[in-house]
Amino acid sequence: MNILGWGLTAAVALAGLGTLAALVAPERVRPMLAGAATAGVGGAGLAAGVAAVAGVGYHARLPWLLPLFGVELVLDPLGGLFVAVAGGVSLVAAVYGIGYAARGHGNQSRSTQAVLPLFVLTLLLVPAAGSVSTLLVTWELMALTSLVLVLTDHRARPRVTHAGLWYAVMTHLGFVAILAGLVAFAAAAGGDTFEALRAARLSPALAAVVFGAALVGFGSKAGLVPLHVWLPRAHPEAPSQVSAMLSAAMVNLGVYGVVRVGLDLLGGGPAGWWLVVLGLGAASALYGILHAAMASDLKRLLAYSTVENMGLVFLAVGVAGLFHAHGEERLAAVALAAGLLHVVNHAGFKTVLFLTAGSVLRATGGRDLNALGGLSRRMPVTTGLFAFGALGAMALPPGNGFVSEWLLLQSLVHPPAGTGVVTAVVLPLAVAVVALTAGLAMATFVKALGVGFFARPRSHVPERAVESPPLMLAAVGVAAAACAGLAVAPTALGPALSRVTGDTLDVAPAVVGGALTVRLAGIASTISPVLILVALVAAVALTALLAQVVARRPARRRDAPLWDCGAGPPTPRMQYTATSFAEPLQRVFADVLAPETTVDTQHASPYLLARMRYQRRLPDRIEYWLYRPVLVAVNALSRSARALANGSVHRYLAYGFFGSIALLVALVVIP
Amino acid sequence: MTDSLQDPVTAVVASLAQVAVVVLVAPLLVGLMRQVRARMEGRVGAGVWQPWRDLRKLFRRQPVTPVGTTWAFRAAPLLLVATALVVAATIPLLTTHTVLDRVADLFAVVGLLTLGTVVLALAALNTGTAFGGMGASREVTVLALVEPTILVAVFALSARVGSTNLGQLVDAALHDPLRVVSPASLLAAAALLVVTVAETGRLPVDNPATHLELTMLHEAMVLEYSGVDLGLVELAASMRLTLLLGLVASLFTPWGIATSLAGLPLALVAFTAKVAVLAAALAAAEVLLAKLRLFRVPELLAGSFVLALLAATTSFFLA
Amino acid sequence: MIDHVQVLHLAAGVFLLTAVGVLWRRQLPAKIRLLVVQGLALAAMVGIIGVQRGDLALVLVAAGLAVLRAGVMPAVLRRALVPGAQERRETRPVVDVAASLLAAALLTLLAYALTRPLVALDPTPITAVLPVAVAVVLIGFFVLTTRRRALSQVVGFLLLDNGITATAFLATGGIPLVVEVGVSFDVLLIVLVLQMLTLRLRATVGTTDINELRELRD
Repeated sequence: MNILGWGLTAAVALAGLGTLAALVAPERVRPMLAGAATAGVGGAGLAAGVAAVAGVGYHARLPWLLPLFGVELVLDPLGGLFVAVAGGVSLVAAVYGIGYAARGHGNQSRSTQAVLPLFVLTLLLVPAAGSVSTLLVTWELMALTSLVLVLTDHRARPRVTHAGLWYAVMTHLGFVAILAGLVAFAAAAGGDTFEALRAARLSPALAAVVFGAALVGFGSKAGLVPLHVWLPRAHPEAPSQVSAMLSAAMVNLGVYGVVRVGLDLLGGGPAGWWLVVLGLGAASALYGILHAAMASDLKRLLAYSTVENMGLVFLAVGVAGLFHAHGEERLAAVALAAGLLHVVNHAGFKTVLFLTAGSVLRATGGRDLNALGGLSRRMPVTTGLFAFGALGAMALPPGNGFVSEWLLLQSLVHPPAGTGVVTAVVLPLAVAVVALTAGLAMATFVKALGVGFFARPRSHVPERAVESPPLMLAAVGVAAAACAGLAVAPTALGPALSRVTGDTLDVAPAVVGGALTVRLAGIASTISPVLILVALVAAVALTALLAQVVARRPARRRDAPLWDCGAGPPTPRMQYTATSFAEPLQRVFADVLAPETTVDTQHASPYLLARMRYQRRLPDRIEYWLYRPVLVAVNALSRSARALANGSVHRYLAYGFFGSIALLVALVVIP
Repeated sequence: MTDSLQDPVTAVVASLAQVAVVVLVAPLLVGLMRQVRARMEGRVGAGVWQPWRDLRKLFRRQPVTPVGTTWAFRAAPLLLVATALVVAATIPLLTTHTVLDRVADLFAVVGLLTLGTVVLALAALNTGTAFGGMGASREVTVLALVEPTILVAVFALSARVGSTNLGQLVDAALHDPLRVVSPASLLAAAALLVVTVAETGRLPVDNPATHLELTMLHEAMVLEYSGVDLGLVELAASMRLTLLLGLVASLFTPWGIATSLAGLPLALVAFTAKVAVLAAALAAAEVLLAKLRLFRVPELLAGSFVLALLAATTSFFLA
Repeated sequence: MIDHVQVLHLAAGVFLLTAVGVLWRRQLPAKIRLLVVQGLALAAMVGIIGVQRGDLALVLVAAGLAVLRAGVMPAVLRRALVPGAQERRETRPVVDVAASLLAAALLTLLAYALTRPLVALDPTPITAVLPVAVAVVLIGFFVLTTRRRALSQVVGFLLLDNGITATAFLATGGIPLVVEVGVSFDVLLIVLVLQMLTLRLRATVGTTDINELRELRD
């Protein structure tokens, strides 16, 4: 048993121990034990994933574990990447969770703490599944454990129950779709394992059905529009470290599923499939970031940002599949590498962002940006870490989001000669979508950072805030350091990415590069993130020096009041809130967002108003147009179906009897 | 066509010369634009050297920190100038082989310029005044809407060259002059001119001379700055204008760019002339335009996006 | 010397006739008596199979079946009967008696058609009796569906179970003892629960007519 085997075994053992410990330990010690066990599971996963990406393979069969099919575990570089990401995120989040629970903060119930190690274990096992039944079982376990975690605070807040209900329904509908698609695939292939599926020859219609079902099921887990509605509800309501794990580790598995089924098991498909994936990814990216720009709840903003980033990843995967279908393997490899690198980068900065949002929630008790502000003085380290994560999320140099976005754009702007009309139209539009989402992401995170952390408190909520305990800061610091590493040395991941894309698409390495410069195979553009950073730092130093030199007298700063137009000192209420910051964008995109405004006026006389009430709501339009009619139809159908169950026992028995007789007669009649 | 500029030492020398020229020329360019406007409006004007005089005055003033602001406010001008310096060392203005050419390509340049604006917006929010929030909010709206145009124009320019590194783009334009007058190129040029206007806050997107609350974008963000900080911000703004105009000139009228060390003086003259002509044309156009309402600006930007998209698709179909 | 096969066929015939008799008779005590006879017939069938195979375990199982199906369960059912003339009589069933008997005939035919391929797999005299067992299953289901009184439905359920047991023994030649014991305990438990429910039903609602329960829905 090699390192991978030991890693997975250690993960399973630690998860079991952690669960048991959390079940029996007293409340004071419970979060520490569960957190330590979870961190151990995460660390084992990280080690196993890194080894898998480095080329070490692993294959295990456990026929006695599951009835009928047994469990089959296979870890190849593609799965290893996702295992490593999940492991790393969970390690950081678990340590953060231990720190969070100090002094009685957060919910330390037995069920939450016991389920946490199990959840992380399932995150590691899903990419390691090597057969359909293993994948389905681990997927369902992941859904159930995450549901328990999302419902942690349901006694304290009623919204949590509502969010949990949405999550439960949608994740199980997705599971049914995955089940149907994969079981049909396995039936046509005559075998359960992934090797059998790879070797199967499916008719195009069946392959399209399987891919469609997989896209629906896996896409809903990743938050692909229009199946994303559970994400902005469920991710904010979970405890903060769980939010980070959900957004940075669990949604990636949706991408894993589509890449595994579409590119690996089905061997790529016609270009039409990948155009659909690309379109849905683009729509998710735009829709997600637009709602994030409008959101004033910090965690909801981050959840919508997850929808956007997963949309960009699906865009990259769609482009990769499209090029693969046209035979352009080099570009397909670059696009796939871009998507996978973005998965890793997103995991990094989203962890930082969600964990710092959790710190804010713990310190102030609130997440509404309209009520926050002034945290940079009270919580300076947290503010710095959030700014670091925001730099990554805005995809600006020298952040880490910039590198994956650059890679994605490179795969889009070098179309091969002789491409068809469709590609000629799709590629520029894809570039435009990526650009618009980048622009809106900038607006969103300037809002989140500027309104939430800078200037003065907009209400009494942040006044009692103090900096988080050092363990929490250390955990987030580790994640931020990982982001920094990814920002300056993305070439370290180059061989790993090349191995993954080569394994999945059977091509030569895509990302070639020296220590400093990122070079791509077949594309002449280069970039060097570390040298950009060095140049920036040098330029800042030079500017500061010159400013000192040019200013004749030694500059001593003087404090002065802000410009207030002569009307007296500005009050905190005069600051721009998150809603007002986003108002110009909301006006520009009013057709897509369709906000609802309610104005109630009470007149004291025909000319004078006594009272006026203004309310603006920005619901999710897709819910309104797509989900509400479906819910209404289902309700109507269920109400009419009540007539089937009118209380007569005889009728129920008759249903059974006549059903059985009909079946038996059919068995006799049909040969 | 010698390759002496690819020698690292000469590349460094040429790049440093480029940066120094940009720093020196930038305020002059702003002065030129103001002078052209003044003359066209029937005024005498303050002279081309006025911005330099303003900068000298500002740098000697005692810096003032508004109450309640933090390090983000004080660091923003430094970072803004730093991004402009890095971009100045990257884009091919005097030579196609700048020292940072392989380090940052067109996407990175756009990203660095955007980083500067973002930092300034954050500093504006840091002040906690309504002006700061207003300026930041409007600026990021314009920024978000201008991004698609920029990137699609980059697509149009780089699709036929096979690289997004600026040196290669300008080299390709030098080797194939006919490409410059192709429809794709012209459409991309028009789109990039609109982008320049939007990014640097000139009319009709923003009026750089106003301090009326309803009409400020960039000025609202820098309202609280004074002294050295304000000097740095003004310098950075003029540098960005110079850089964008220089980029447009290099991409679409690359003749005169030095390909050997001996060609540097000529390149200097050519660069100054091209940028001056562009700036004067821009200033003349500004006299005839009025500032657009903020909610009309998206229409302008959508128009420029359509131009860029057409440039991209024609670069496919007309090769 | 009496042939095993003939005794088996006799037992099978009694098995089926008792099932039809449950459909025909209206009185609840009569139905319970018929159930006793059916239990004995079932035990006889299993015993004959055991004797023919020389399998002592099977004979013991037959004895156990006799005790359980012919003794314990009808006794439990009788306890649910309260003395009083009204309660002992089945009210008009949903399908009247003549139609029920016709239905029983049709179900027997269906059972015969169904089991033909099964019998063709292993044509021995024992498996030739399979259609009878399946017919009893279907008739039991029919009784369950169409009788009004709760106790009649329990009788139908027991018919169903007897038929399933017979099918199991005839088709496979025996099910493991553990399974049989388990199933029997399950059935016993069900009958006990249903008996208690019937008593409770009578106490609360006043009748055990299932159709009266419709009033309870909201």
